[in-house]
Amino acid sequence: MDMLLSSPSFAFIQVLNSISLGMNLFIIAAGLSLIFGVLRVINFAHGVFYMFGAYIMYTVSKDLQLGFFTGVIAAALGLAIIAIIVERGLFQWLYDKEHLLQLLLTFAIVLIMGDMAKIIWGTDQLSVSYPEGFGGASNLGFTFYPTYRLMLCVVGPLIFLGLWFLIERTRWGRLTRAATQDMEMLSALGINVPVIYVTIFVIGSALAGVGGSLAAPINSPTPGMDATIIVECFVIVIIGGLGSLWGTFVGALIYGFVFNFGSVIVPNWQDVFAFLLLMAVLLIRPWGLFGKPEQEGH
Amino acid sequence: MVSIFRSTTAAAFMLAAGVVSANAEIKIGVLYPIAGTGAVYGTPAMYGHNMAVDEVNAAGGIMGQKVVSFARDTKLKPAAAAAAAKELITKEGVDVLVGGLSSAVGLAISEVARQEGVVYIATIPKTIQMTTKKLHKHVFRTSSHTDFEGDAIAQIVKKLGKKSVCDIQLDYAYGHDLAAGIEKGLAKHAPNVKKVIDLRSKLGATDYNAQITQILGSGCDVVTSGLWGSHFVNFAQQAKPFGLFDRVTYISGGEIASHEIAGKMGKDYPDNVISNSYELWYDHTFPGHKKFQADLAKRSGKKETAMWPVLAYIGVKFIEAAGNKAGTMDADKFAAALEGMTIKTPVGDRTIDPKTHQANTGQFWGPMVKKSGVDYRVMSPVTWYPATLD
Repeated sequence: MDMLLSSPSFAFIQVLNSISLGMNLFIIAAGLSLIFGVLRVINFAHGVFYMFGAYIMYTVSKDLQLGFFTGVIAAALGLAIIAIIVERGLFQWLYDKEHLLQLLLTFAIVLIMGDMAKIIWGTDQLSVSYPEGFGGASNLGFTFYPTYRLMLCVVGPLIFLGLWFLIERTRWGRLTRAATQDMEMLSALGINVPVIYVTIFVIGSALAGVGGSLAAPINSPTPGMDATIIVECFVIVIIGGLGSLWGTFVGALIYGFVFNFGSVIVPNWQDVFAFLLLMAVLLIRPWGLFGKPEQEGH
Repeated sequence: MVSIFRSTTAAAFMLAAGVVSANAEIKIGVLYPIAGTGAVYGTPAMYGHNMAVDEVNAAGGIMGQKVVSFARDTKLKPAAAAAAAKELITKEGVDVLVGGLSSAVGLAISEVARQEGVVYIATIPKTIQMTTKKLHKHVFRTSSHTDFEGDAIAQIVKKLGKKSVCDIQLDYAYGHDLAAGIEKGLAKHAPNVKKVIDLRSKLGATDYNAQITQILGSGCDVVTSGLWGSHFVNFAQQAKPFGLFDRVTYISGGEIASHEIAGKMGKDYPDNVISNSYELWYDHTFPGHKKFQADLAKRSGKKETAMWPVLAYIGVKFIEAAGNKAGTMDADKFAAALEGMTIKTPVGDRTIDPKTHQANTGQFWGPMVKKSGVDYRVMSPVTWYPATLD
């Protein structure tokens, strides 16, 4: 706390820490929110998709030595393929069923993929190196800050802008938004709704894969890493509003700031503030800061 | 005719008795995390456990009876571990409990052992509470504890001539007790060293940036820690770009010098780290280690073996020795046999203190250095710190 008040550069570093943490989480949580926004599926398996992204990064960049950025692409593609199999093979049969069945299905996927990860990659904690040129710190003039973290501060907003443009400014995005309102009407108008659904699921899951691959150098790929991230993602999307892209972006930033400054100001209570905020949102505005109450689903 | 009948009857009785004897088993309840996050440790621990059980059975079992293991997943959670321990005792009727990973889990199993009157040998948990204020007549520990570990860290701080310490620990029993152990050690060995900052991260934390920047801002010249497993990997990966390991010496418990960490981190393992390990596959200081390591390598299919197996292995060897000495698995008599018992292990002789039920388990400590020809770090020089607080 004293350092925060006495050193402006220390305080500034905490701001950057908060943004980079928030942006890494945003990339992952955005996929969860996107899938819920359109498919109305609360995908508990999103965390395990993230874990697969981190493991794929390990295999591609460390085992196969194909480079870090190839690893990011491979994680996105790998999760896209998994998403197609999961959506077409399983989810499509449950859209008109009650939420409990969907939850149980996603939970089953968590258990199956968790065991698959152990069979494929073993149970050791693995480590992934930083990409070439991103392992050090950048000189910001008055202080140094890890280059990789700065990259996350940039990549997060870029993904946000890309998603925003796709959903708000393209014909496909309009159809997607329409699908959340009235799937039957859209189908009657000759739009291939299943294609929209699978595409959304693929994009959302690929984001989890990209998030996992980008987190790999700072979060050791290890069994069970999915359990932590899924809780953080739910906190973010509930604060921001499930299904809202803006909400997820702002929610991730809020989480980053609350967690990071909480760790500095009251170190032993670092988690409490984020959950207190979550409780406050649930009590005062249960649909989240940017969400809409009682949205019509299909 | 009568004699033939008598002989046949006697033979039948003897055979029947033989069958009963062959069927009688010594049941060991084994509690390690064998799925989820903890499988990183539980899986290799099970290698050591199973290897010891096979050796015991090959040598005739305990009191001539075959040893059978009933393994349960603790899920790294105290509640799950306690439930599994209860189930092992009441449903499977195990004679003794062994294992535990994480101090919180160990304390939970110990409590069940106390309630149910079954002996529990803790092979991995290190919280000092287990053998001090939460000690009971049926709990024994063969791993080290936080006061031994803290004392060794303080001795190294003194040896390096460091002046100020930042301490970062995980926010649960092990972290709190290690911090206290380091403070006790510093007060004894290096009373002039100043503690600058105390930091706590939650168990399972993945982001350490706030703590790393506080350490850098505090200006200490050594960091003491007990971040273990993936906690250390994440901390190190996040701290390196900040230049933390160029500015401080990082002295850590939590066995981050073990090969399972050093081997997997490879060239990502940071500079200026001094840490500990119960066993090093490449160090044959103690007689018997070479054979143990070769057998383990054969069993696990890896030349460079992990550290966790030896802990589970030693737990079974104590059960064997105590069972044979007591001549019964009755909990009170079995516990009495363990008190003061000494056995030979691949990492030196181990004696259980009859008062505290704590084994004199020392550890290897040393700097982690690069070695030509391999892409992982090794401990060199290796120094054995015996388990003494004098």
